[in-house]
Amino acid sequence: MKRGFAAIGLLIAAVLVQTALVDRLPLPWGVAPDLVILVVVAIALSGTSAAGAFAGFCGGLAVDVLPPADHEIGRYALLLCLAGYAVGSLRESNGRSWLWPLGVAAGATLAVCLGFAFIGMVLGDPRVGLGAVAVVVPATLLMTMVLSPFVLYPALWLLRRMDHDEFAAIGDAPWLSRGVAR
Amino acid sequence: MRDASRSRVVLGVLLTACVVLLVLDARGGGDPVTKGARTAGAAVFGPVSAAVTTVTGPVSDTYRAALAAPGAREEIEDLKARNSELTRQIGAQERDEGRSGELERLLNLSGLGGYEIVGANAVTHLTPQGYADTVTLDVGTRDGVRRDQTVVNGDGLVGRVVRAGTDTSTVLLLTDGASTVGARLEGSEEIGTISGASRSIAETAPLRFELLDASAKVGKGERIVTLGSHGGAPFVPGVPVGTVEKVEDTPGALSRTAQVAPVVDVSALDIVGVVVAGPKEDPRDAVLPPKPGDPKEKDGKEKAGKKQTAAEKKAAADRKKASEEDAPAEDGPAADAESDRPRDPDGSGEDR
Repeated sequence: MKRGFAAIGLLIAAVLVQTALVDRLPLPWGVAPDLVILVVVAIALSGTSAAGAFAGFCGGLAVDVLPPADHEIGRYALLLCLAGYAVGSLRESNGRSWLWPLGVAAGATLAVCLGFAFIGMVLGDPRVGLGAVAVVVPATLLMTMVLSPFVLYPALWLLRRMDHDEFAAIGDAPWLSRGVAR
Repeated sequence: MRDASRSRVVLGVLLTACVVLLVLDARGGGDPVTKGARTAGAAVFGPVSAAVTTVTGPVSDTYRAALAAPGAREEIEDLKARNSELTRQIGAQERDEGRSGELERLLNLSGLGGYEIVGANAVTHLTPQGYADTVTLDVGTRDGVRRDQTVVNGDGLVGRVVRAGTDTSTVLLLTDGASTVGARLEGSEEIGTISGASRSIAETAPLRFELLDASAKVGKGERIVTLGSHGGAPFVPGVPVGTVEKVEDTPGALSRTAQVAPVVDVSALDIVGVVVAGPKEDPRDAVLPPKPGDPKEKDGKEKAGKKQTAAEKKAAADRKKASEEDAPAEDGPAADAESDRPRDPDGSGEDR
């Protein structure tokens, strides 16, 4: 339960920081790192696939609705929901290195970026062309990955700590205990 | 296993919800559900972004000042320690001065064109995933801002309002890939459309001007103003848009295109104005600032063309004023000109 509240808090913080703070920075190429994907990945990695899907849906919907978004509501929610579910189902296998969350985040970011462009093309968004995708996708991926260690590990540590007393012995993934100093 | 099937049900329900929302919103025409959601989003976003503006004002000023001098970056490294203290002190003062200058230019432009404006601050610069070129303003329906109103700053056209909440509104910039503006060449009757070029690796100007008349004369450095839409929405007439940077001469093309540099620096928007009421009559080229230097000297051909148009200008302006009372809709003349062209015999264009 405690972890649920922590996850909701993290998600709200990520959405607000993303829309109110990160989106107003004058960053190169006109793209921003995506904090919401990172937080959804952290929640999905430390929870079930259903939790991941739900977190992705909520976070994505919030980004869809808040200004200055100018795409159809549901476009981002759909992708983050799928990403959360997929990352949540990955989690079962144990014995990963501490770099594993970063790899997962990179994969999820790439997939979400490409999916966003794909839905745009399908819906006939005149802004999404091959040239634009070739700029936006690598730039977003790069910026998100630069930021990811500073978001992923604290978020994972926080979520892990919250359910520590309830499920202390269950599924203690080595990359969680080894990567972060307690 | 039960857990896996349950989460599959959750996923299915959520995905269905997403698709339903997508379809409702993509259908257009302001669906009540998605409109309500956006209104709620704008209501939440307004106070949050206002708070962030208050807190981060001095910080963002320092960042912008550092970004403005890429050539002097090494020097900045050395001076940074000493500078930051001073910058912080001066920042607030500089900000006030710069903004009052910007506001003055904006008022000047609106006075020349006879536009009635509402002043606003541009709050955000980036959008999720970075395809759309939109900014948020801190004014909304409470200040009289409505959908499809022209947004200008002291230099010229910024874009148009695509969504207006109570306290915030979203502006589609003219450089956005989905934006199209009816435009006219300075001092002539040549009309066309200006569309934004979507972001791309290739180094091109952010705007493309497509002239409807393939035989029209366009030269580098000529300036472009808005043509104006029916009833002044979404674009009022006479706002400076940009300067022709390069003319693309494709033999056999049905229309002539040119790359255009916008007069407004869309990456550094601060104070803008939303035109809430258009001018009573078309200001024509009155809003354009006087030309710097004298570009006519450079090109003899262009000089001749210019003189002719200058002489014709007055008569044409008077003639046009009367005929434009029934304000041509944005695509009205466009459709006419395009349908006329193929019927014309080839030689008719050369006579001009």
